[in-house]
Amino acid sequence: MLNFILVILGKIISYVSQLVNLGYGSTWPGHVTLSINKNFIREIIKANPQLKIILIAGTNGKTTTGKLIQTILENSGKKVFQNEAGANLLNGISSSLIRYSNKVGKLNYDFAIFEVDENTLPLALKEITPNYLILLNLFRDQLDRYGEVNTIADKWKQALKKLSKSTTLILNADDPQIAYLGLQQNSKSLGSDSKQPRVLNRSYTSGFYFGLDDKTLHQTSHQHAVDSTYCPNCNSKLYYNSIYYSHLGDWECKNCGNKRPKNIFSNPPPSRLSGSYNLYNILAAVLVAKNIGVTNKLINDSLKTFTPAFGRQEILKVDGKKVQIFLSKNPTSFNESLRTIKSLGAKNVLFVLNDRIPDGRDVSWIWDIDTEEYIKNFNSVVLSGDRAYDMGLRLKYSYFSEFPISNFQFQIVGDLKKAISLSLNKTNKSETLYVLPTYSAMLEVRKILTGKKISI
Amino acid sequence: MRKDNLYLTIGWLYPELMSTYGDRGNIICLQKRCEWRRIEVEIKRLDVGFDYRQLATCNLLFMGGAQDTQQKIVSRDFSKEKVKVLKEMIEEEIPGLYICGAYQFLGKYYKEANGKIINGLGILDLYSKNPGANHPRLIGNIAVEIHDLRFKIYENGGKNHKSYFINHKSTLVGFENHGGRTYLGKDIKPLGRVIKGFGNNGTDGTEGAVYKNSFGSYLHGPILPKNPHLADHLIKLALERKYKKIIDLSSLDDSLEWQAHEAIAKRLGISV
Repeated sequence: MLNFILVILGKIISYVSQLVNLGYGSTWPGHVTLSINKNFIREIIKANPQLKIILIAGTNGKTTTGKLIQTILENSGKKVFQNEAGANLLNGISSSLIRYSNKVGKLNYDFAIFEVDENTLPLALKEITPNYLILLNLFRDQLDRYGEVNTIADKWKQALKKLSKSTTLILNADDPQIAYLGLQQNSKSLGSDSKQPRVLNRSYTSGFYFGLDDKTLHQTSHQHAVDSTYCPNCNSKLYYNSIYYSHLGDWECKNCGNKRPKNIFSNPPPSRLSGSYNLYNILAAVLVAKNIGVTNKLINDSLKTFTPAFGRQEILKVDGKKVQIFLSKNPTSFNESLRTIKSLGAKNVLFVLNDRIPDGRDVSWIWDIDTEEYIKNFNSVVLSGDRAYDMGLRLKYSYFSEFPISNFQFQIVGDLKKAISLSLNKTNKSETLYVLPTYSAMLEVRKILTGKKISI
Repeated sequence: MRKDNLYLTIGWLYPELMSTYGDRGNIICLQKRCEWRRIEVEIKRLDVGFDYRQLATCNLLFMGGAQDTQQKIVSRDFSKEKVKVLKEMIEEEIPGLYICGAYQFLGKYYKEANGKIINGLGILDLYSKNPGANHPRLIGNIAVEIHDLRFKIYENGGKNHKSYFINHKSTLVGFENHGGRTYLGKDIKPLGRVIKGFGNNGTDGTEGAVYKNSFGSYLHGPILPKNPHLADHLIKLALERKYKKIIDLSSLDDSLEWQAHEAIAKRLGISV
């Protein structure tokens, strides 16, 4: 009974906060209900046994993967809801349960997809037993919130130890840390408890792996901002047969024999999304869809017509010109955005760097982006955001020229509206303006371009 | 003196392992500021297993921060010879910049939350400890006021020469993020006094440390791009020690650097 009241209360809070345009509509209701009943999530899910749950965790790609899965499932006639992109802490999950409950507190849906923040995954697994758990990748992101990638991997390992057998794991084989979590899980499920599991390439019944196997996508060397190039089993340096991006690839340890699992799903159907990084998101989504039983034809058709989530390669039309937004929130996604827009022939770019809570307050990470590689080809570069000057310094120190250059090669415009106007003016009708913002900057840019506020 | 004759070798210690928080920006900054003055630079990447004899060929050293696992690997790689050579070089005043984990590592020891003592290199008179999970990490933008360096005068053949800091601001700005708290001994001075932020331990108002020409600090940012006066101070120290004469660095257009510096200071409510 209490939960039914909390649902109504939550809906009222959501309505009110949207009315007064506070912008935090998607996490307040959940925040309030959880502080009144900390078991709210657990109990609501228990009261809806027909609901199948898919959890997605990882540093980059959660929103795109979630949207891919939702699109495929809805095309197959299922009713699906998700927590809002970025609202991926417990309060965001709780808020989505409130939002999608009907007036009598029931969730009339077949599937719930929850994207979960890295640090929140262990907590979420205490409240939720998902049918599917997707582990996409682990990169350095928001250092001042989490500090260390290895710490998170460890916390995930502990959380996975208690994972129910009814949860199907969907794992990125190309990420050594993620693949290793699966291997340890498997040795646990087979009864052995050694600290250094002997790694054998047999098919894993407790989980399914995806990865890439396309020599044309191979990179010749690691980008600078690379984590996890050391064997998670014995700490020796890993050897790569192929590097696809950052530390993802066909890896092996020549010291202890740990290597990428053999049976991996590596056939991404064609889609409109660009960039190697999106192939992983597609593989994860397709693998889950296949496991659920969606037909290949339906999956392929869904991918052909899929449009990206907001801010992730989203294309907006403004004044007859195209603007494409590539969320760039850590060195890896930034490098991938730069790589992708370069391949798309980008000439006009707007970088917006903020340092608010969702972006990470420490912007030191921008020096781990390989700007030197990509910026030579741009004609017009405009910088904006809270930390535009820092971005300016990063670019200034990227030029190959021997001599110091003055600001004229890029423009710093603090006022975001003016920066956007200026960038659009410099973009011809046949060209695209590419925007690379951090998270909060992306929301602001969208708001200015579409006139709509996304409450997050 | 013709600038294009000058040549500097920068030793970058453990670039793969100790490069977690954008610290390579310090190397980029030093390198560019030299190149823009037509000073040739060689960056020596001294990774796991490097020959200790490489150290002595360097004019300036840099080491960044790292995660615990990586730091353990580095610790294992520091053989007796390496420690001995590094200590001698630091005593003989080789300029160097050591950030966060590297700064702690040069000290006597690091005491973990559970009481376990991890030995440092024992070169700097300081120690660090982690008070445990109940204490918050020291995180945030930070502004530091430098004292001693501002008035450092070099004497060379009876001629006094001003420190690079005299004509420039005496603040450093950056971002700190550390669980460890560092306490300085009597044989070492702080780099500066905290104006806003936590600094070495959040209690005694000190930030970083200076011993001879070695500079330790918790400042990320990275520290050098927004503090070009410190970058140039290090370059000057390195060149003067190598060439054994006063070297004036040509001035660069640092307006962007100072705008970025002031933007942070302003945000912290400080005027510079």
